[in-house]
Amino acid sequence: MRIAVCVKHAIDETELKTGPGGRPVLEGAACKVSVFDKNAVEEALRMRSAQGGEVVAFTIGSEDARKSLKEALAMGADRGVLVVGAQASLDTGRTARTIAAAVKKEGAFDVVLCSEGSSDTYSGQVPPMLAEALGTAYVGYARKIQLEGGKAKVERLLEDSVEEVEAPMPVVVSVVSEINEPRYPTLIQIMQASKKPVQEIPESQLAVDPGSSPVAVLGMSVQTSSRKRVIIEGGPEDAAAKLIQELEKEGVLR
Amino acid sequence: MSEQVWAYSGSGEVQCELMSAALELAEKSGRSAVAVELGRQREEVVAQSRLVVKGAGDDPLPEVAAEALTRAARSRHPSTILVGATRNGREVASRVAARLGWPCLSEASKLSIDGAQLQANRTVFAGKVVATVSCGLPAVVTIKPAFYPKSTASGKEVDEFDAGELTGVVKLLSRRKKEAGAVDLRKAKAIVSAGRGVKRKEDLPMLQSLAEELGGALGCSRPLSSDLGWLPEECHIGLTGVTVKPDLYVAVGISGQLQHIAGMKDSKVVVAVNTDKDAPIFQASDYGIVADLYQVVPAIKKALESRR
Ligand SMILES: Cc1cc2nc3c(=O)[nH]c(=O)nc-3n(C[C@H](O)[C@H](O)[C@H](O)COP(=O)(O)OP(=O)(O)OC[C@H]3O[C@@H](n4cnc5c(N)ncnc54)[C@H](O)[C@@H]3O)c2cc1C
Repeated sequence: MRIAVCVKHAIDETELKTGPGGRPVLEGAACKVSVFDKNAVEEALRMRSAQGGEVVAFTIGSEDARKSLKEALAMGADRGVLVVGAQASLDTGRTARTIAAAVKKEGAFDVVLCSEGSSDTYSGQVPPMLAEALGTAYVGYARKIQLEGGKAKVERLLEDSVEEVEAPMPVVVSVVSEINEPRYPTLIQIMQASKKPVQEIPESQLAVDPGSSPVAVLGMSVQTSSRKRVIIEGGPEDAAAKLIQELEKEGVLR
Repeated sequence: MSEQVWAYSGSGEVQCELMSAALELAEKSGRSAVAVELGRQREEVVAQSRLVVKGAGDDPLPEVAAEALTRAARSRHPSTILVGATRNGREVASRVAARLGWPCLSEASKLSIDGAQLQANRTVFAGKVVATVSCGLPAVVTIKPAFYPKSTASGKEVDEFDAGELTGVVKLLSRRKKEAGAVDLRKAKAIVSAGRGVKRKEDLPMLQSLAEELGGALGCSRPLSSDLGWLPEECHIGLTGVTVKPDLYVAVGISGQLQHIAGMKDSKVVVAVNTDKDAPIFQASDYGIVADLYQVVPAIKKALESRR
């Protein structure tokens, strides 16, 4: 069984600074592995223990993106592929076609795992677009996956229903965070991860189709909140009484 | 290129919301808004003009819905296809964009057309930042459920398109509707929202009764529904859950991570109860009480009762 897993080296929104003009400072911003991608890695590792085979982690970015690959490797992935290039920001189609080209270059995979969405943009578009670019089946929002006889039986978690579907392999599957509890790597595993192979592919080598019209980012501004931020002091009874007074004045009590 | 703005969602309710967005965009750019429906016309969808795409059957899997829309678009050449960003909708939009080779904007608001360019806003970095994005037309756009109000503009214009035979490789084995939640949080005037600060599932009725006292409903942060399973998933508020705008939002034992704030930041008045004075929720609140929820919640309830 050959399993690919996609991990995003995402800007850490909690560390993001505001620069001149209320713009976020993206240059050199701290990044981390997109949280839910760990669920995808965990699922890949569980598939490997059940079926044998290899888990290859893919990411796009600069040298700094090696950190996210390293997390996947420390958890247990066998090797990593780093597509060296700028992340296509909000152009999900471009991102998907880039990952697809890298995955194809690494040969045939039975399963490609992604998470439901990334912690920075949460568009949820790359996984289905990746399946389209690879020409494989796709199943989204999996909370349970069973592989058997060249097929994937998947329980899909939707807003108002739960579906059970069957898809032929190779298949791209996106997982929800409910699917598993990602393991924590041990110190030894973290140290060993540095020795696992990471292959670099320059993006230019992949000849990715830029698409009919790229998605451009015209501007960004950090949201400011205009809350009152009043801290109500006093013991529970006092504080509660004062709060009710304020809410009464606000006109939000029935 | 035709001058139509299409709107599609598998959910009738979301489709009505999309029609508001479609009408707004159509009016601004001299185009017409069309509700695209698969299989049949649905009663719950209110629209002046519709296109019914035959061949996909009722409630098709996203793969099949995408192919139906793709074929319809190849034949009718709309300028924009708006798709509701539900879980299935995201897949449909992505596939349609990939198959047509069109760009795709996601989670868009404030849509406008300037010549052959489509422009929109969207939030990124868990709601911390608003980005203005653009792409050429034609394009696919996803729109967050509950962002736009439902359109009430109705009419009788109906067109049909036969997509021919449609099949997919994914097979549906079973579909189980979840038990419908007792309340729709999006309609609640007041919401008490429970976070990890609540120690046990058995303590939730305490918050539920406060919610009732306020004439509202109980919601929660994602861990309570996803990780702990204490409440149904449709109760979770935030980036990956529902977006709510009640008059009063009371966050109890919620730290206030950006992903949670993203779902409640448009509430009129926000109250937070948390033991940690440095919890980020206080930055996103109008009134904060730094104390143990197990003392404060009963006290608030009592104060409310004595007000009667
Ligand atoms: C891509 C992505 C999407 C996400 N989407 C969502 C989403 O849609 N919605 C969402 O909610 N989360 C979402 N999350 C998770 C989010 O980042 C936070 O982890 C989550 O909101 C934290 O929930 P919490 O505040 O209940 O728990 P915690 O962060 O653990 O906070 C618990 C709080 O309770 C306080 N507390 C403890 N005991 C008491 C007491 N006795 N009395 C009063 N206060 C007490 C603590 O001080 C603490 O502040 C998402 C995460 C990612 C990565």
